Amino acid sequence: MTPIHMNITLAFTISLLGMLIYRSHLMASLLCLEGMMMSLFIMTAIMASNAHFPLINIMPIIMLVFAACEAAVGLALLISISNTYGLDHINNLNLLQC
Amino acid sequence: MTYVLFTLSVMLVMGFVGFSSKPSPIYGGLALVVSGVVGCMIILNYGGAYLGLVMFLIYLGGMMVVFGYTAAMAIEEYPETWGSGFEVLACFLVGLMMEVGLVLWVLDFDEVVVMVGFNDMGNWVVFEGEGSGLVRSDSIGAGALYDYGRWLVVVAGWTLFVGVYVVIEITRGN
Repeated sequence: MTPIHMNITLAFTISLLGMLIYRSHLMASLLCLEGMMMSLFIMTAIMASNAHFPLINIMPIIMLVFAACEAAVGLALLISISNTYGLDHINNLNLLQC
Repeated sequence: MTYVLFTLSVMLVMGFVGFSSKPSPIYGGLALVVSGVVGCMIILNYGGAYLGLVMFLIYLGGMMVVFGYTAAMAIEEYPETWGSGFEVLACFLVGLMMEVGLVLWVLDFDEVVVMVGFNDMGNWVVFEGEGSGLVRSDSIGAGALYDYGRWLVVVAGWTLFVGVYVVIEITRGN
Protein backbone atom coordinates (compact mmCIF):
# COMPACT_ATOMS: atom_id res chain seq x y z
CA MET A 1 0.00 0.00 0.00
CA THR A 2 1.31 3.40 -0.90
CA PRO A 3 0.51 6.71 0.79
CA ILE A 4 -1.92 7.31 -2.05
CA HIS A 5 -4.04 4.40 -0.78
CA MET A 6 -3.69 5.85 2.71
CA ASN A 7 -5.14 9.15 1.53
CA ILE A 8 -8.07 7.49 -0.19
CA THR A 9 -8.80 5.35 2.89
CA LEU A 10 -8.59 8.52 4.97
CA ALA A 11 -11.07 10.20 2.63
CA PHE A 12 -13.49 7.28 3.19
CA THR A 13 -13.09 7.56 6.97
CA ILE A 14 -13.66 11.32 6.93
CA SER A 15 -16.86 10.87 4.90
CA LEU A 16 -18.00 8.13 7.26
CA LEU A 17 -17.54 10.46 10.22
CA GLY A 18 -19.34 13.21 8.35
CA MET A 19 -22.28 10.93 7.67
CA LEU A 20 -22.64 9.75 11.25
CA ILE A 21 -22.38 13.18 12.92
CA TYR A 22 -25.51 15.20 12.37
CA ARG A 23 -25.69 18.95 12.23
CA SER A 24 -28.90 20.40 10.85
CA HIS A 25 -29.53 19.09 7.34
CA LEU A 26 -30.31 15.52 6.33
CA MET A 27 -29.03 16.26 2.81
CA ALA A 28 -25.49 16.80 4.12
CA SER A 29 -25.44 13.22 5.45
CA LEU A 30 -26.62 11.95 2.05
CA LEU A 31 -23.77 13.87 0.42
CA CYS A 32 -21.28 12.24 2.78
CA LEU A 33 -22.75 8.85 1.81
CA GLU A 34 -22.08 9.72 -1.82
CA GLY A 35 -18.55 10.70 -0.86
CA MET A 36 -18.03 7.28 0.70
CA MET A 37 -19.17 5.59 -2.50
CA MET A 38 -16.89 7.79 -4.57
CA SER A 39 -13.84 6.98 -2.48
CA LEU A 40 -14.62 3.25 -2.78
CA PHE A 41 -14.97 3.67 -6.56
CA ILE A 42 -11.59 5.36 -6.79
CA MET A 43 -9.94 2.75 -4.59
CA THR A 44 -11.22 -0.24 -6.56
CA ALA A 45 -10.46 1.45 -9.90
CA ILE A 46 -6.85 2.15 -9.03
CA MET A 47 -6.39 -1.32 -7.55
CA ALA A 48 -7.64 -2.81 -10.79
CA SER A 49 -5.19 -0.78 -12.86
CA ASN A 50 -2.32 -1.29 -10.43
CA ALA A 51 -2.62 -5.07 -10.31
CA HIS A 52 -3.05 -5.31 -14.11
CA PHE A 53 -6.09 -7.51 -13.50
CA PRO A 54 -8.83 -6.15 -15.76
CA LEU A 55 -11.67 -8.26 -14.36
CA ILE A 56 -11.70 -6.23 -11.13
CA ASN A 57 -13.03 -3.32 -13.24
CA ILE A 58 -16.50 -4.89 -12.99
CA MET A 59 -16.62 -4.00 -9.30
CA PRO A 60 -16.52 -0.14 -9.51
CA ILE A 61 -19.25 -0.14 -12.13
CA ILE A 62 -21.57 -2.41 -10.14
CA MET A 63 -20.89 -0.35 -7.02
CA LEU A 64 -21.89 2.76 -8.94
CA VAL A 65 -25.16 1.11 -9.98
CA PHE A 66 -26.12 0.29 -6.42
CA ALA A 67 -24.92 3.69 -5.17
CA ALA A 68 -27.28 5.30 -7.66
CA CYS A 69 -30.14 3.17 -6.30
CA GLU A 70 -29.43 4.12 -2.71
CA ALA A 71 -29.02 7.79 -3.59
CA ALA A 72 -32.39 7.73 -5.32
CA VAL A 73 -34.13 6.15 -2.33
CA GLY A 74 -32.39 8.56 0.09
CA LEU A 75 -33.42 11.55 -1.99
CA ALA A 76 -37.01 10.28 -2.22
CA LEU A 77 -37.15 10.09 1.59
CA LEU A 78 -35.69 13.58 1.83
CA ILE A 79 -38.28 14.92 -0.61
CA SER A 80 -41.14 13.37 1.34
CA ILE A 81 -39.76 14.91 4.55
CA SER A 82 -39.38 18.24 2.80
CA ASN A 83 -42.96 18.05 1.54
CA THR A 84 -44.23 17.64 5.10
CA TYR A 85 -42.03 20.11 6.96
CA GLY A 86 -40.77 22.53 4.33
CA LEU A 87 -37.07 21.95 5.12
CA ASP A 88 -35.02 18.85 5.81
CA HIS A 89 -33.87 19.80 9.28
CA ILE A 90 -33.15 16.78 11.43
CA ASN A 91 -34.71 18.19 14.57
CA ASN A 92 -38.06 18.00 12.79
CA LEU A 93 -37.81 14.22 12.69
CA ASN A 94 -39.25 13.38 16.09
CA LEU A 95 -42.46 11.57 15.13
CA LEU A 96 -41.04 8.46 13.39
CA GLN A 97 -43.32 9.32 10.51
CA CYS A 98 -42.66 11.12 7.26
CA MET B 1 6.11 15.54 -11.35
CA THR B 2 6.93 12.40 -9.42
CA TYR B 3 4.64 13.50 -6.64
CA VAL B 4 1.67 14.46 -8.80
CA LEU B 5 -0.39 11.46 -7.68
CA PHE B 6 0.33 12.12 -4.02
CA THR B 7 -0.61 15.79 -4.44
CA LEU B 8 -3.85 14.80 -6.13
CA SER B 9 -4.71 12.39 -3.33
CA VAL B 10 -4.01 15.14 -0.75
CA MET B 11 -6.35 17.45 -2.65
CA LEU B 12 -8.95 14.66 -2.65
CA VAL B 13 -8.78 14.46 1.14
CA MET B 14 -9.08 18.25 1.40
CA GLY B 15 -12.16 18.22 -0.82
CA PHE B 16 -13.68 15.47 1.32
CA VAL B 17 -13.00 17.50 4.47
CA GLY B 18 -14.76 20.37 2.70
CA PHE B 19 -18.10 18.61 2.52
CA SER B 20 -17.70 16.51 5.66
CA SER B 21 -17.48 19.68 7.74
CA LYS B 22 -21.17 20.03 6.85
CA PRO B 23 -21.78 23.45 5.35
CA SER B 24 -25.13 23.99 3.67
CA PRO B 25 -25.80 21.15 1.17
CA ILE B 26 -25.37 23.32 -1.89
CA TYR B 27 -21.76 24.07 -0.89
CA GLY B 28 -21.30 20.43 0.06
CA GLY B 29 -22.35 19.49 -3.45
CA LEU B 30 -19.79 21.91 -4.85
CA ALA B 31 -17.04 20.31 -2.76
CA LEU B 32 -18.20 16.86 -3.89
CA VAL B 33 -18.00 17.91 -7.55
CA VAL B 34 -14.46 19.26 -7.03
CA SER B 35 -13.48 16.04 -5.23
CA GLY B 36 -14.95 14.08 -8.13
CA VAL B 37 -12.82 15.97 -10.62
CA VAL B 38 -9.68 15.31 -8.57
CA GLY B 39 -10.62 11.64 -8.16
CA CYS B 40 -11.12 11.32 -11.91
CA MET B 41 -7.62 12.71 -12.45
CA ILE B 42 -6.23 10.14 -10.01
CA ILE B 43 -7.91 7.33 -11.94
CA LEU B 44 -6.60 8.76 -15.22
CA ASN B 45 -3.05 8.85 -13.87
CA TYR B 46 -3.29 5.14 -13.14
CA GLY B 47 -4.24 4.47 -16.74
CA GLY B 48 -7.98 3.99 -16.37
CA ALA B 49 -9.41 6.24 -19.04
CA TYR B 50 -12.76 4.44 -19.27
CA LEU B 51 -13.39 4.51 -15.54
CA GLY B 52 -12.48 8.19 -15.36
CA LEU B 53 -15.03 8.90 -18.06
CA VAL B 54 -17.63 6.79 -16.24
CA MET B 55 -16.98 8.84 -13.12
CA PHE B 56 -17.48 12.14 -14.91
CA LEU B 57 -20.51 11.17 -16.93
CA ILE B 58 -22.47 9.01 -14.56
CA TYR B 59 -21.37 10.13 -11.14
CA LEU B 60 -20.88 13.88 -11.62
CA GLY B 61 -23.14 14.34 -14.61
CA GLY B 62 -25.96 12.13 -13.40
CA MET B 63 -26.03 11.80 -9.66
CA MET B 64 -24.63 15.18 -8.70
CA VAL B 65 -27.08 16.96 -11.00
CA VAL B 66 -29.93 15.17 -9.23
CA PHE B 67 -28.45 16.12 -5.87
CA GLY B 68 -28.12 19.72 -7.00
CA TYR B 69 -31.75 19.95 -8.05
CA THR B 70 -32.93 18.29 -4.84
CA ALA B 71 -30.77 20.61 -2.76
CA ALA B 72 -32.31 23.54 -4.60
CA MET B 73 -35.75 22.27 -3.58
CA ALA B 74 -35.02 21.61 0.08
CA ILE B 75 -32.79 24.54 1.00
CA GLU B 76 -33.15 27.57 3.22
CA GLU B 77 -32.91 31.17 2.19
CA TYR B 78 -29.41 31.98 3.49
CA PRO B 79 -27.21 28.93 3.01
CA GLU B 80 -24.35 28.51 5.43
CA THR B 81 -20.93 28.51 3.81
CA TRP B 82 -17.56 27.61 5.31
CA GLY B 83 -16.81 31.11 6.51
CA SER B 84 -20.10 31.83 8.23
CA GLY B 85 -20.31 30.40 11.71
CA PHE B 86 -17.59 28.94 13.85
CA GLU B 87 -18.40 25.22 13.75
CA VAL B 88 -18.01 24.61 10.02
CA LEU B 89 -14.84 26.67 9.81
CA ALA B 90 -13.30 24.91 12.82
CA CYS B 91 -14.05 21.43 11.43
CA PHE B 92 -12.66 22.41 8.06
CA LEU B 93 -9.44 23.88 9.47
CA VAL B 94 -8.87 20.94 11.83
CA GLY B 95 -9.26 18.52 8.92
CA LEU B 96 -6.85 20.52 6.77
CA MET B 97 -4.26 20.68 9.54
CA MET B 98 -4.56 16.94 10.10
CA GLU B 99 -3.86 16.34 6.41
CA VAL B 100 -0.90 18.74 6.41
CA GLY B 101 0.56 16.90 9.41
CA LEU B 102 0.13 13.58 7.63
CA VAL B 103 1.85 14.93 4.50
CA LEU B 104 4.80 16.11 6.58
CA TRP B 105 4.95 12.68 8.21
CA VAL B 106 5.07 10.95 4.82
CA LEU B 107 7.66 13.34 3.43
CA ASP B 108 9.92 12.88 6.43
CA PHE B 109 9.73 9.16 7.07
CA ASP B 110 8.59 7.80 3.66
CA GLU B 111 6.12 5.47 5.34
CA VAL B 112 3.11 5.44 7.61
CA VAL B 113 2.92 2.29 9.71
CA VAL B 114 0.18 2.51 12.31
CA MET B 115 -1.68 -0.80 12.14
CA VAL B 116 -1.55 -1.27 8.38
CA GLY B 117 1.71 -0.35 6.73
CA PHE B 118 1.43 2.17 3.90
CA ASN B 119 5.06 1.79 2.91
CA ASP B 120 5.16 0.04 -0.44
CA MET B 121 6.94 2.73 -2.39
CA GLY B 122 7.59 0.32 -5.24
CA ASN B 123 4.03 0.75 -6.43
CA TRP B 124 4.45 4.49 -6.80
CA VAL B 125 5.07 4.62 -10.54
CA VAL B 126 2.72 2.74 -12.82
CA PHE B 127 4.72 0.93 -15.49
CA GLU B 128 3.41 0.30 -18.97
CA GLY B 129 3.78 -3.40 -19.19
CA GLU B 130 3.20 -6.09 -21.69
CA GLY B 131 0.76 -6.30 -24.55
CA SER B 132 -0.33 -3.82 -27.16
CA GLY B 133 -1.56 -0.44 -26.10
CA LEU B 134 -4.43 -0.72 -28.52
CA VAL B 135 -6.72 -2.62 -26.17
CA ARG B 136 -7.33 -0.67 -22.98
CA SER B 137 -7.54 -3.02 -20.07
CA ASP B 138 -10.16 -1.12 -18.11
CA SER B 139 -12.74 -0.97 -20.87
CA ILE B 140 -12.16 -4.62 -21.72
CA GLY B 141 -12.54 -5.52 -18.06
CA ALA B 142 -15.77 -3.59 -17.79
CA GLY B 143 -16.97 -5.24 -20.98
CA ALA B 144 -16.48 -8.61 -19.31
CA LEU B 145 -19.46 -7.63 -17.17
CA TYR B 146 -21.69 -8.63 -20.06
CA ASP B 147 -19.81 -11.88 -20.61
CA TYR B 148 -18.89 -13.48 -17.28
CA GLY B 149 -21.26 -11.34 -15.31
CA ARG B 150 -24.46 -11.93 -17.26
CA TRP B 151 -26.49 -12.72 -14.18
CA LEU B 152 -25.08 -9.72 -12.37
CA VAL B 153 -26.31 -7.48 -15.19
CA VAL B 154 -29.79 -9.01 -14.88
CA VAL B 155 -29.83 -8.53 -11.09
CA ALA B 156 -28.55 -4.94 -11.28
CA GLY B 157 -31.03 -4.05 -14.02
CA TRP B 158 -33.91 -5.51 -12.02
CA THR B 159 -32.71 -3.64 -8.94
CA LEU B 160 -32.79 -0.35 -10.82
CA PHE B 161 -36.23 -1.13 -12.20
CA VAL B 162 -37.67 -1.97 -8.79
CA GLY B 163 -35.85 1.09 -7.36
CA VAL B 164 -37.90 3.34 -9.63
CA TYR B 165 -41.09 1.85 -8.22
CA VAL B 166 -39.78 2.24 -4.66
CA VAL B 167 -39.07 5.93 -5.30
CA ILE B 168 -42.53 6.44 -6.77
CA GLU B 169 -44.19 4.81 -3.78
CA ILE B 170 -42.15 6.87 -1.31
CA THR B 171 -42.82 10.20 -2.94
CA ARG B 172 -46.49 9.45 -3.39
CA GLY B 173 -46.90 9.84 0.37
CA ASN B 174 -50.37 8.97 1.45
